[in-house]
Amino acid sequence: MRGRPGRGVMDFDPGVITRNLSYLLWGRLAEGDPGGLLLTILMAVSAGALALVAGVGFALAAWRCPGTIRRLLFLSADLIRGIPLIFIIFWLYFLLPALLGGDVPGAAPVILALAWFSSAAVMYSTLAGLEALPKGQREAALASGLSEGQALRWVLLPQTLRNVMPSYVALLVSLVKDTSLAFIVNVTELSTLAGQVNNRTQLYPMEIFLFTAALYFLLCRAVSLAGGRLARLRH
Amino acid sequence: MGFHLDWSGVLAGAPLHWLVTGLVTTLAVTLAASLLATVLAVGLLGLRVADNRLARGAARTIVALFRDTPLLVQILFWYFAAFGLLPGGVRDWINADHPWAVLPANVPLISPEFLAATWGLGVFSAVFIAEEIRAGLQALSPGQREAALSQGFGHWSALYHVLLPQALANAYQPTVGQYLNLMKLSSLATAIGLAEITYQVRQIESFNAHAVEAFAAGTLLYLLLGVVLGRLLLAIGPSGAGGRTSEERQADARPAGEGRHGL
Amino acid sequence: MTQDTLSPPLIEFRSVHKHYGTVPVIRGIDLTIRRGEVVVICGPSGSGKSTLIRLVNGLERLSAGDILIDGQSTAGLDGAALRRLRTRIGFVFQQFNLYGHLTAAANIALAPRKVLGLTDAEAFRAAATLLERVGLGDKGDRYPSQLSGGQQQRVAIARALAMRPEILLFDEPTSALDPEMIGEVLAVMRSLAESKITMVVVTHEMGFARELADRVVFLDEGVVLDDAPPERFFGATGHPRAKRFLSQLLSPLHQVGG
Ligand SMILES: Nc1ncnc2c1ncn2[C@@H]1O[C@H](COP(=O)(O)OP(=O)(O)OP(=O)(O)O)[C@@H](O)[C@H]1O
Ligand SMILES: [Mg+2]
Repeated sequence: MRGRPGRGVMDFDPGVITRNLSYLLWGRLAEGDPGGLLLTILMAVSAGALALVAGVGFALAAWRCPGTIRRLLFLSADLIRGIPLIFIIFWLYFLLPALLGGDVPGAAPVILALAWFSSAAVMYSTLAGLEALPKGQREAALASGLSEGQALRWVLLPQTLRNVMPSYVALLVSLVKDTSLAFIVNVTELSTLAGQVNNRTQLYPMEIFLFTAALYFLLCRAVSLAGGRLARLRH
Repeated sequence: MGFHLDWSGVLAGAPLHWLVTGLVTTLAVTLAASLLATVLAVGLLGLRVADNRLARGAARTIVALFRDTPLLVQILFWYFAAFGLLPGGVRDWINADHPWAVLPANVPLISPEFLAATWGLGVFSAVFIAEEIRAGLQALSPGQREAALSQGFGHWSALYHVLLPQALANAYQPTVGQYLNLMKLSSLATAIGLAEITYQVRQIESFNAHAVEAFAAGTLLYLLLGVVLGRLLLAIGPSGAGGRTSEERQADARPAGEGRHGL
Repeated sequence: MTQDTLSPPLIEFRSVHKHYGTVPVIRGIDLTIRRGEVVVICGPSGSGKSTLIRLVNGLERLSAGDILIDGQSTAGLDGAALRRLRTRIGFVFQQFNLYGHLTAAANIALAPRKVLGLTDAEAFRAAATLLERVGLGDKGDRYPSQLSGGQQQRVAIARALAMRPEILLFDEPTSALDPEMIGEVLAVMRSLAESKITMVVVTHEMGFARELADRVVFLDEGVVLDDAPPERFFGATGHPRAKRFLSQLLSPLHQVGG
């Protein structure tokens, strides 16, 4: 299993990477079964989109309905963030097929778990953004006859989304890294495939995991950069 | 559908014993990695705020490397790749039996799994802890530093006497969050076969298929650990840091997701 | 301009009370403002000036009493009725409160589009006219962050005018401005005052009060201490408390212990 004796940094062999490159990058895409880095990206993007919609929705609900609804939202958000992400994946992985009765594609429970977990953070960031706006913004909107809903839709939310954009980008970066937990239920994203290749070849853990880490690093950096661009563009 | 729950499959016999072992292991690896993370965070923070561009650049690189790669891959790297780079004698010693370093419930402290997990979690968390405190420093108004400098404090003594005390108090809550996160992230060590709670829950599931009961037990254990640990850390913290409502907490839900606990 | 005693009452405060928790802030105010009047409200900090005018458009809720607008009670108004009332009342804030994500023109056009249902073209055409009127015809596509304080406040006035209000309320419109920008805002307000729109202006600009107000109302600790035309308010017969306030405005050093 772990580090064979006798192989050091000196014996670094990039061949194992080139031999497995396409497998690590997109898995068995040719057979219609995307995997590796490609699946990692697909999972992060879909979980991110779900988390954004749900999280902003929760934040709006908490903003408009202080009191019980808000407390319930906070409670469930704290609960979901209080248990390891692995366990949310376990639960959904186990319960989803039982509830839906059918065959659920392996990545779906993981995507839902990631989205659920991240939506709590999206909710908190968005709500903090709403509350950080000067009180006068809402007052000015109301004073000119807009309803609370209109003030939220046309004045408060657009400014909040713009201000909170850097947080959303950081959350997406976290999501990219969190997809690696799909390893635990054998969904064939990048980390799982890296583990497979390592088990199969046995001799090249250094090469494989450094290369894998580098792929994640570049992906995270690219997301940060693109996100930063986007945030500035909208200014 | 209707699951009928049968707790005897989890809370008796071998499964119960496994859960106890898992709990002790999770506690041990959390404690060890927390200590390591604290020490490393102090060093990293020192580099990060040093009066020297090279040191700051090095710190920034370290932070970027460990923050922008998944913890899981880091742990796999330490366990499968880095461990092999140790001198053979050291590896043999680690692999040998050390009866004196075994906790109750048969939890060995000197094993490749335990050490790799401790090291991986410690390094990873140190980066986040140092960044929390640096964020606390950055949140101080520049006037604080200027006032101290104009009173004759030097770079380090201004930091030590004026800036850090305020930054630590401000950053205490999110820093506690990072230690709690470390505890939750220790669940990833299951990937290298460290027999902590998550590992044991999966073992129970494959042993007698009591999945729901096993997941529930694990979930509750982590929640309980989180509440107890959180209370404890907030109680020993600076007054004012503790006992805040979630309402207040989300008011400083910080941007940049740094408070959030990526892997 | 002299008070036209024949014009009908537009805003009537009837024993208005407002308290925050147990702290009384407005303590029984009766006051009538007639259509076309320009009324300046002044008084020491914390005397309740902002609260008083925020009660008029329902940004604060009455604790007791009533405010009649055009003879209609407004106590307890909410929902669509309150929104309808607000479209008839323009409000200009001390901090401008321009919408940061919208250009000057879009700031002005937002409520006409969303509340009055104007088309974008109509609303933006009207916005351009209003910008012209406040002397910013060339600044329509600037964002608030690209405008000076004085320019922002003039856009804010244009935004208030966009709803064609019958009443304009100003809450210290010049006190967040650098001294050199106060003039441009006062000039716009002067042209409004001369247009016969009803204005209630909380301000410490006594020059404005002297020159343009029909009446000056002096507020202290939530009650009206004086309510007089400027010549009387600033003259020898004014209220002694108001006199002390005015002397402190002129020479702030005397405020020590005041
Ligand atoms: N939302 C609130 N909650 C509690 N107290 C308030 C609130 N708003 C205002 N007050 C208090 O009511 C009193 C009157 O406030 P108001 O803002 O009306 O005074 P003002 O005359 O406009 O003062 P300034 O010249 O400083 O603007 C003050 O003592 C203030 O502290
Ligand atoms: Mg005021």
